[in-house]
Amino acid sequence: MPELSEKENVLSKRLNKLLETRVENDQDTLEALKELSTFYCDNSLQARRNLRSQIEKRSLEINENFLSEFREVKESFDSICDDITDMSKSLQDMTIRLQNAKKQTKHLLEQTSISTAFMNTFILRHEELVALHGNKQKRDLTITPEIFVVLDKVKKIHNDCKTLMQSGYQTLALDVMEQMTLHQEGALERLYHWTQNHCRNVDNLDLTNLLTQAMCRLQDRPVLFKYVIDEYCISRRAVLVGEFIDALTRGGPSGNPAPIEMRAHDPHVYVTDILVWLNKAIPVEKQNLHLLVSLCNKEDISELLTNALASICEGICHPLKIRIDKILNASTQSSSLYAITNLIRYYKKSMGKVSEGGLLALTLSDLQEKSEQIFLLALQQQVANALVRVETPPRDLSPTPAISHLLAVLRDMLSTASMSEGRETDMGKIVQCILDPLLRAVNEQSSRLPPTDMAVYMLNCLYAMHTCLSLYEFMDDKLERLQAHSDAQLDTLTSEQASSLVANLNLGPIYTILQDHSNAPLSGIPGMEPSNLRNFLGKLDVLVSSPDSMLLQQIHLLSSSKHKKSVQKRAFDVLLAIYKQLYEGVHYANNLYDNPESILPRTPNELVKMLSK
Amino acid sequence: MSAGPYNYSYIFKYIIIGDMGVGKSCLLHQFTEKKFMSDCPHTIGVEFGTRIIEVAGQKIKLQIWDTAGQERFRAVTRSYYRGAAGALMVYDITRRSTYNHLSSWLTDTRNLTNPSTVIFLIGNKCDLEGQRDVTYEEAKQFADENGLMFVEASAKTGQNVEEAFLETARKIYQSIQDGRLDLNAAESGVQHKPSQPGRNTLSSDQQFNKDNCAC
Repeated sequence: MPELSEKENVLSKRLNKLLETRVENDQDTLEALKELSTFYCDNSLQARRNLRSQIEKRSLEINENFLSEFREVKESFDSICDDITDMSKSLQDMTIRLQNAKKQTKHLLEQTSISTAFMNTFILRHEELVALHGNKQKRDLTITPEIFVVLDKVKKIHNDCKTLMQSGYQTLALDVMEQMTLHQEGALERLYHWTQNHCRNVDNLDLTNLLTQAMCRLQDRPVLFKYVIDEYCISRRAVLVGEFIDALTRGGPSGNPAPIEMRAHDPHVYVTDILVWLNKAIPVEKQNLHLLVSLCNKEDISELLTNALASICEGICHPLKIRIDKILNASTQSSSLYAITNLIRYYKKSMGKVSEGGLLALTLSDLQEKSEQIFLLALQQQVANALVRVETPPRDLSPTPAISHLLAVLRDMLSTASMSEGRETDMGKIVQCILDPLLRAVNEQSSRLPPTDMAVYMLNCLYAMHTCLSLYEFMDDKLERLQAHSDAQLDTLTSEQASSLVANLNLGPIYTILQDHSNAPLSGIPGMEPSNLRNFLGKLDVLVSSPDSMLLQQIHLLSSSKHKKSVQKRAFDVLLAIYKQLYEGVHYANNLYDNPESILPRTPNELVKMLSK
Repeated sequence: MSAGPYNYSYIFKYIIIGDMGVGKSCLLHQFTEKKFMSDCPHTIGVEFGTRIIEVAGQKIKLQIWDTAGQERFRAVTRSYYRGAAGALMVYDITRRSTYNHLSSWLTDTRNLTNPSTVIFLIGNKCDLEGQRDVTYEEAKQFADENGLMFVEASAKTGQNVEEAFLETARKIYQSIQDGRLDLNAAESGVQHKPSQPGRNTLSSDQQFNKDNCAC
């Protein structure tokens, strides 16, 4: 019976299931029942019969409801579908647009690279700006060589802007140009301040390069350029004065070379050292100044540089003047004063070649003039002192010691002067200073002597002066004057000598008779007898045998043998003239001399020969 | 005289004489420098001045000796008369004493110079008309009597100074032209320009001085 049992079992299971069903626990059933209770109001047969249809009706109704609801849903979906289709269209549209945009962007990208290039060409980069204007935050003021590169670029941009302008970008170009101008001005301003602060150290090798370049840039701005030069001058002036004073008072490092003032007791050495120092220092200043502007255009600034150097040298003028003045006022030796004058002259010229004009040239000119004056005063004083006492000429009628001494001074001075600058004026002044008083002194001394002594003494002095002066050029005037003096004295001396000869030969009366005699025969006149003439001839023989015997003793004292010969010759000429007259007289028949050849055996020509031996 | 271009044909020697303080040096200075020397010191012995002038188209160098007026230098100054072609004898129109001494100066000059020497009388300081002590007429008469040329001049204003020196030169030049002046005589006071150092142009008619001869 398993089938049965199985049947039974199924049944029982169903039963059990039914029995075990707890309707109250079954939510679905509860819900269904609750629903059922809404429309199944009264439990009638009719009602029971109709329940099914009623339920079916309801089910239909519900389904219809579903249908309508789903229709709505479908319609909604349809509209969504439409929307999506639209979106798809839009997307496609956008894709096209994007593709277009992409194409356009490509073009833009190309444009962007052009503008970068433009930026590089026309706009400065940050580091360039830093190089130009320094780092504002750090207040960094050092100048680097880049500034010049950037300045060049600025300049180039500025120039390029012109091209830009020609290509039609006027506004842009003008903007850039303005910008560049501002940069340039700013940079130059900065450069100016820096240069002004550092220019004094131009000889510092680290700075030389920068400074010279900076000066070159600043030359475009004459005012700034001049201010820098002014500043340079002020600082160098002070440095130069300092160095000068140090050289004078302290000497070099560890006293080598010794301070110049150590040797102030020797005016010549002292002045030489001072001037030599300056003569060395000034070219160094010039060199530095020119180094500073070595890259600049020299043509425009040559006058500025000349003035600048003069201005640098201004400072030393005062200490220099004080010292030289002191030396000039303290020295009394005319020779050392003259040496100093020549030193000043020489170095004035030498420094004048380096630095033209300005206070230094003026100071040196003043000093030169002053030293010349003081020298001449000292010389005059020296001459006056030497001649203060009128000396009596010595017995040998040579120049007195004072005269000889002054002539020696004159010789020394002239030998120096003949090698100095401007020697013509110098020599003229020196000679005038010494010669005029000397001539006066000689005149004064001579005025106390008898005529012959006077003439000899004067001739000796004049000869000494002439000898001294004739060694030098530019002395023509003085020599002419001395010569004229000598001529006058030679005339006097000749006259004295001739008179003495005539007197010694007893020729005086004979000469007088020869001059005055009328027609009466000479032989008859007392004093013209042959015996008397023989007396004269005897003396003439003595003279002929020794021509010097009848010279005035003073003639032997003449220092110039030429003077001596000249006097002697001219005196003999006088004698010969008288002899000739006498000879002719004696040989003249009317004078009734017997045998004239025996009286006057010598012809005048023979006598000339004998006397001129 | 050393070498050098001689741009003149003759040298004339002058001497200026007269009492102390009559203005001899000032006249010379006025003539050579064209300036008046206000406080001129006394001349010691002789001073010397030169100037080149022109007479009848000829350049002539004047060598002028300015002598001291002081008596003590008489011995020195005498040496310079001998070679003079012209003598300017000066007095001061405001001081009669200087005029009164003229005859003694004239005697000296005549004795010491040669006969052809031109003597020119100058009355100096004619600018001081108010202090005049010697009339023009009187001096003119003196000059005429002694055969001198005469002019009143002022070294201060320069009036007639030039004239006196030039007139003397013209007279000397005239003498040369007339042949009255022997250029070869050393004492003529005139030299042709190429005057060699040391006179060797002496001729036989060399005169020795009678004045000295007597002593």
